[in-house]
Amino acid sequence: MKALCWMGSGKVEVHNVSDPTILNPHDAIVKITRTAICGSDLHLYDGFIPTMEEGDILGHEFMGIVEDTGKGVTNLQRGDRVVVPFTIACGNCEFCKKKIWSACDNTNPNAHLMEAAYGYSGSGLFGYSHMMGGYAGGQAQYVRVPFANVGPLKIESDLPDEKVLFLSDIFPTGYMAAENAQIQGNDTVAVWGCGPVGQFAIASAFMLGAARVIAIDRLPERLELARSIGAITVDYSDEDVSVLTALKDLTGGIGPDSCIDAVGLEAHSAQLQGIYDKVKTALMLETDRPSVLRQAIQSVRKGGTVSIPGVYGGLLDKVPFGAAFGKGITMKMGQTNMHNYMKPLLERIEKRQIDPSYIISHRITLEEAPDMYKVWRDKKQNVTKIVIDPWAT
Amino acid sequence: MSRALNEKPNAEPLPTLASAGVTLNGRYLPPPEDKDGKMWVRTSALIHASAEDLYNMWRDVEAAPLWQEQIEKVTRTGETTSHWVMRPVANSSDKDKDKTVEWDSAILQDEPGRRIAWKSIGGESHNAGEVVFEPAPGGRGTMVTVLQEFRMGKLASAWETIVGRNPKQAVIENLRHFKALAETGEIPRTQGQPHGPRGMIAGIKKSMYDEETKVPPGLHRKAS
Repeated sequence: MKALCWMGSGKVEVHNVSDPTILNPHDAIVKITRTAICGSDLHLYDGFIPTMEEGDILGHEFMGIVEDTGKGVTNLQRGDRVVVPFTIACGNCEFCKKKIWSACDNTNPNAHLMEAAYGYSGSGLFGYSHMMGGYAGGQAQYVRVPFANVGPLKIESDLPDEKVLFLSDIFPTGYMAAENAQIQGNDTVAVWGCGPVGQFAIASAFMLGAARVIAIDRLPERLELARSIGAITVDYSDEDVSVLTALKDLTGGIGPDSCIDAVGLEAHSAQLQGIYDKVKTALMLETDRPSVLRQAIQSVRKGGTVSIPGVYGGLLDKVPFGAAFGKGITMKMGQTNMHNYMKPLLERIEKRQIDPSYIISHRITLEEAPDMYKVWRDKKQNVTKIVIDPWAT
Repeated sequence: MSRALNEKPNAEPLPTLASAGVTLNGRYLPPPEDKDGKMWVRTSALIHASAEDLYNMWRDVEAAPLWQEQIEKVTRTGETTSHWVMRPVANSSDKDKDKTVEWDSAILQDEPGRRIAWKSIGGESHNAGEVVFEPAPGGRGTMVTVLQEFRMGKLASAWETIVGRNPKQAVIENLRHFKALAETGEIPRTQGQPHGPRGMIAGIKKSMYDEETKVPPGLHRKAS
């Protein structure tokens, strides 16, 4: 089959590799009909995530048709149409029972690598480094799905792939970000980053009762998308704009009730601290560029909540913890507990409360993917979301 | 008790107290230190299964190759004795490829549903160990604690780490495999999945990602 492989920092290539096979009783093989490039794939592309190896197959947002099942899989049959969550969960451990699925104890074969870095291991993820399990990803024609009795969501209606594909990661991730923001009725919520996760965080914040959502980005097409679903936008790259002042101005001086960092470790910053973080990461004195996190902590109101769906991987510098303590804020974060959200969000799509396909800007073949990684990383061609048909030529 | 932990495994029977225990009289006990050519590893796991089921799974020594790394075959030789055959990953040179390590093991303490202690009684490996099964606080399954002792120098241990699996890590991984098998019926694996061409550095790092340490099969879980 054809698969998109990570071949080093800034280098991805399409290779012919062997087809996946059933290795464990609860495996399924899925023929992929649609897959997408995630903003977090760009962290891999840029070499920010350790334990990637040449030849690793990328991709963790995908859906398709069940081709084969292991003998332990009782809920799926050949021919079923499924969306697969990017986190792999066993369903039986202490954490799955607590519904913290992304902390599953039993799905990361390389748990000791993550234990060395984080103290404990989270669940395995598709196509996201050996530390996170080393599972081959889904920017390919076929994929092996472990613990297929727990994760995949069957799509029984005739909704097109593009409307349900984002249940595999970014829609639940944006939704959990809004849930983590602990929104009460009539709250004001600020969202940094109007990429796909930011978009779904904005939409979900409204669903959860926010009266006003303020969206912060610098790319005109993204700010326009945010306005199209009702947000007020702030362009942080405008020289006259201070985000902190803007958020005070828009909240009568008290600050947003909740701040959502949908940017993560590769934040760009218009200010001097952007250069500071660039130099420090280049010298390996810090691994992440937390300028958005700093701003979110600074901007949130007293006693407010900072929710972090953006990915962080390592060590952060100059995080204003005194401000966090001084204001008594709550911070919530983590990989998405996918399995809690897929079904209820599918119901919202079926009831036409939201059509997640509104964020798609590019539809491409697998062969075009290596170029599009670069285009998206460089923020060219107005990319908001790239969807791949791995069988198109 | 701490004195008992320092005794040679083959010199005297194992202590009658639960030496794999983590507390004594309400105080936390740190794991024993490595010294005099002996290495210790203590590791624990919270497993969602009853102590009885987990005891039975562990006590079924012939099924150990399903979840213990590098163990090729275990044969019962008596009510409490067994013969173990191990094929270490470390033997990667052609000459040693088919070399196995074999020893006999005897169970010295056997308390159904609570505790098993064993030691080697002859052969090429000197080891002793103990596993304790305790109901977790709040009814959250069973806490399983393993204490394992080896005789191995620091150099040999460092070598094993480079060419294959450090024996301490192997004990930790084995308990992880045991837990996965008990909770899900399988052991997670990626060996055998497709990938693109591996470069030179990826080849060197293979051992780090355990691509050379085969995950035990984990299938055929016995209904307990």
